[in-house]
Amino acid sequence: MNTAAAVSWQKNPALAWREIDDETVIISPNDSVMHELNETGSFLWKNIDGKKSAAELAELLAETYDVSADVALSDTQALLEEMSSRKLVMTIPERRVSS
Amino acid sequence: MNAPLANPGHGSRQQFELSIGSVPLRLQMSDGQLFRAAAERYSAFSDSTARPVTIALNDGGPGKSVLPEFGYEFGGAVLRAFANEIRFDGVENQYALDSMLRVFLTWKLLNHNGFLLHAATIVRNRKAYIFTGRSGAGKSTVASLSPEGSVLTDEISLLRRENGVWRAYGTPFWGEFRAAGSNTSAPVAGIFRLLQAAENRVEALRPAAILRALLPNVLFFSTAAEANRRLLDILSQAALEVSGYNLAFRKNASFWEVLPA
Repeated sequence: MNTAAAVSWQKNPALAWREIDDETVIISPNDSVMHELNETGSFLWKNIDGKKSAAELAELLAETYDVSADVALSDTQALLEEMSSRKLVMTIPERRVSS
Repeated sequence: MNAPLANPGHGSRQQFELSIGSVPLRLQMSDGQLFRAAAERYSAFSDSTARPVTIALNDGGPGKSVLPEFGYEFGGAVLRAFANEIRFDGVENQYALDSMLRVFLTWKLLNHNGFLLHAATIVRNRKAYIFTGRSGAGKSTVASLSPEGSVLTDEISLLRRENGVWRAYGTPFWGEFRAAGSNTSAPVAGIFRLLQAAENRVEALRPAAILRALLPNVLFFSTAAEANRRLLDILSQAALEVSGYNLAFRKNASFWEVLPA
């Protein structure tokens, strides 16, 4: 899975989710599995918009939670990997410019 | 409440009108044996006072080129909900019909701010106490420990938000208690997640925990993202507006002593 800092991330459009009590509950309709995100996961989830990269998400995380850039990037990439393995998020295919 | 309707006007088909959770339904079928079984099974829920949704049983209907808004297959039975008609096909007996009705209601209730929950509902002091949990959690035990006539259902509860108030309805979907259910409703006092223990103890839950307690026990069969989003909206609202608790209880009626009034 490519979690390179420059790749943009999007939510899986097949999912249903709601935020409640600073937590996010996500339902995967195809397999009826419930996923839960803690406060940090919910923060990232809210900001995953199909445009931001892991680096940009980490920057927001560092600003909000007052952690170093290195720690924020490491945590962000770990969370994205975890969410990706559960098919909650996916990378956006890079556009290729034809010559 | 009216008696079941036998209507000879549509060929040899007969129809039976009922209401579950204030959702009016009309079952049409030509199988006399199935009709009699359904009329008996749902006799406590018969109702012809409202304009019903008609469900045609084993009538074939539109070909595969017409896509239903909601479809479900189970044990050879097929449910198809089209914009203007509902069809259950391959329904061989009353048990298959009961399953199809449950599945259909889970979808239909999305338009009525409601949902079905694996839960027993007991009415006490005119309030509905919802005891939720999967098989073996103690729903039937709670029902068996409650006074006769107070059990709306021991297996599948129906919750709806009406005029800003959450109400619990009885359903004809029973479990071990083998009561036919009661077609009445009451405002919800609280939702209690059953945990069997050596002593009675109740613990209030935050809305997120209530939602987490509800989700594994909600009956829902649609895989459509939009339907699941609507369900999550309804459940989130319930979690925010209804009190929820973990209830550790001994298998006797003393658990009522620790419940909030």
